[in-house]
Amino acid sequence: MIWLTWRQFRGQAVTAVAALALFAILLAVTHPELASLYATSGFAGCQGGSCGQPAGAFLSQLSNLTPFGGPQAFRLLPAGANLYVIVYTVGILFILIAPAITGVFWGAPLIARELETGTGRLAWNQSVTRARWLTIKLALTGAAAIAVTEGFSLLQAWWAAPISRAVDEGGSVSVFSGSRFSPLNFATGGIAPLGYAAFGFALGVTAGLLIRRVVPAMALTLAIFAGVQVVMPLWIRPHLLPTDQTTAAIAASRATLSDLGGATVLTASAVPGQPGAWIISSGAVNAAGQPVSTLPAACTPTAQSPSPGPGSGTAFQSDVQRCLAGHGIREAVSYQPASHYWPLQLTETGIFLALALGLAGFCFWWLDRRLA
Amino acid sequence: MIEFHLDSRSGVAPYLQLIHQVRQALRLGLLRKGDQLPKVKDVAAGLAINPNTVLKAYRELEYEGLAAARPGVGTFVTGTLDGGSLAAHGPLRTELLHWLAKARRAGMDDESIEALFASTFRSASEEDIA
Amino acid sequence: MTAVIEAEGLGKRYRKQWALSDCTLSVPAGHVVGLVGLNGAGKTTLLNLVTGMVAPTTGTIAVLGGRPAAGPGQLARVGYLAQDAPVYPGLSVAEHLKLGARLNPGWDDALARRRTDQLDLDPGRKAGKLSGGQRAQLGLTVALAKRPELLILDEPAASLDPLARREFLQDLMAAVAEEQVNIVLSSHLINDLERVCDYLIVLADSRVRIAGPVDELLAAHHLLSGPRRDEGRLPAGMQVISASHTDRQSTLLVRVSGPVLDPAWTVTAVGLEDLVLAYMKQAAGRGRRGNRHLEALT
Repeated sequence: MIWLTWRQFRGQAVTAVAALALFAILLAVTHPELASLYATSGFAGCQGGSCGQPAGAFLSQLSNLTPFGGPQAFRLLPAGANLYVIVYTVGILFILIAPAITGVFWGAPLIARELETGTGRLAWNQSVTRARWLTIKLALTGAAAIAVTEGFSLLQAWWAAPISRAVDEGGSVSVFSGSRFSPLNFATGGIAPLGYAAFGFALGVTAGLLIRRVVPAMALTLAIFAGVQVVMPLWIRPHLLPTDQTTAAIAASRATLSDLGGATVLTASAVPGQPGAWIISSGAVNAAGQPVSTLPAACTPTAQSPSPGPGSGTAFQSDVQRCLAGHGIREAVSYQPASHYWPLQLTETGIFLALALGLAGFCFWWLDRRLA
Repeated sequence: MIEFHLDSRSGVAPYLQLIHQVRQALRLGLLRKGDQLPKVKDVAAGLAINPNTVLKAYRELEYEGLAAARPGVGTFVTGTLDGGSLAAHGPLRTELLHWLAKARRAGMDDESIEALFASTFRSASEEDIA
Repeated sequence: MTAVIEAEGLGKRYRKQWALSDCTLSVPAGHVVGLVGLNGAGKTTLLNLVTGMVAPTTGTIAVLGGRPAAGPGQLARVGYLAQDAPVYPGLSVAEHLKLGARLNPGWDDALARRRTDQLDLDPGRKAGKLSGGQRAQLGLTVALAKRPELLILDEPAASLDPLARREFLQDLMAAVAEEQVNIVLSSHLINDLERVCDYLIVLADSRVRIAGPVDELLAAHHLLSGPRRDEGRLPAGMQVISASHTDRQSTLLVRVSGPVLDPAWTVTAVGLEDLVLAYMKQAAGRGRRGNRHLEALT
């Protein structure tokens, strides 16, 4: 059974190994210059919590770097993009789509092809029970799917280690940005990809089993997987662990004003005393702690300064802030502290692994009871 | 060794056809005492028929004393077929020719002659049984 | 001798439709069993129940004394060649044999190789490039080399040209003669069944119409023709399967347990094809209502 699984999986394995190998080569070739830049910049030696400036400087240098001898070599690249930006983006992309690819191309056809082409009637009438057939197939192919995604994830983690450190310190240059909690970074960092890979694969196998046709099963797997990947960061992840609440001064929360459909909204971008926190929601509250739906007319930007010009942004923001503070208005923030990063990763991965196991269990039951 | 053939349209059961062909071969001298009959597997594979059918035919031949099975070796012819003593054939043939001439003079065509013979033969056989 | 297939009130329903209902069989060992019926009559469903590819909705079924697909041991005893001989197009002939060897502890590799040599199947050739007849031969090789006690074939010759079909049957009969394996073979080609089967099951409209050894079935059925007579006026013990009447003459296909003594009838033997067709027509005519279950002649 192990031989048969391998023999049927051979082609797909070759594709996966080739993709990983190409990615590894790309990273290996571009790593030396990245590493040397990191070592020679002031950022490597910087310790402690206030390395924000060296981090930013390192990232700027990196994004302006033209390796392998000058701009001539890279005239192909669009303006503003350099090799490191591209490699970094490619890596993120691979980690993001690998679970979908393995789910769609390895999971969906696993049972569906046997049913659609009728070869199941050959495979399941040898001396191997359907349960054993599925066990070996799921275990080996599923492990491969998880390994592929993890492979991309680990390669990227190794190559982009200096960049990740810089971004954590607050550096933000082009794509090298975003907190660890941003949807893209959270989904491609830590151990989350592992859970997605397992879930995507199990989802594909289940879809194939129920729909019994390869192409429709692939389409459904992709649709559901994409849907889950949208729903999770928007609605579920913020509440996986209980959020913390606090109320802070407008200035301390670095709140910014914006117009949302006619109403003026105050959005916090930092939590005082909680660096790296993930802000779930925020809004203005009055001295009694009740939400304020409209700001006092005296404090709106137009009242403060009739015609805001360029460069006056910071000045009048602080004017508005002082005015609001004078009215006793503060900012209430609901957030996940930075320390919740790993618990959230573990919880989310745990959920996806549990879903994967549940789907696998369903497949065992269905294959045994129903079939033809 | 003889070779069997099967007429799937004749309405006669395959095993009877096989027996008939063995008997015919014995009469014509194509099979003699001591000859081996084709192996069951070869007949079944050659004609695409059930081996049990061949076995049934061979068993019937054994029962009639015409063949005997030697386990592990095959089935061999052990008997001969007497169509009665050959001496009786001559006069019977002459009588038959006389009768046929009479029937023709009476105006009977081939089919009527065959029908008359068949029904008389059948009722005579039934009387024999009863 | 235990029955190879023992079914009691077996039925299978898919959504609202009964693919097989009220099936009671006791198929003896040592036969080549023919399962005949129109497409959609329930042949494949019955075979799927026998191999354990589906579970029954009602009733029970025991195959070689065990529950179908109950475990590796049961699976090893039953071989199956599905309709249109499924093979993996990307795997070569030799790899299919390897599949058999790896997935069957009872695999007889010598037998498999002997067959592929005799049948001129090139071991290196991809199965997707084989002709229909060759695919059937490959499928039969894989099913036989696992040394099953019972071999099930679902319409094995249906999509083959006449020459390939004859060669397949010849090959199958040689295997039966050599290996002493019980065979259940489904087909709608009655001529093929006549040559190779000595036990017959007729399925029509999802039910078993008649089942029994072929020579007993043929001995028990007669075609009666004679002056016009209504079916009600027939002696007891005679069951009419099909009847046709003109103003002067009646022709009946009947099933009786003894000889027909009424001199008014001309009695002739019934061929297997006519017998099967008569039961199928009876099923089509009477439909589901009032159709008594016909017990097997054993």
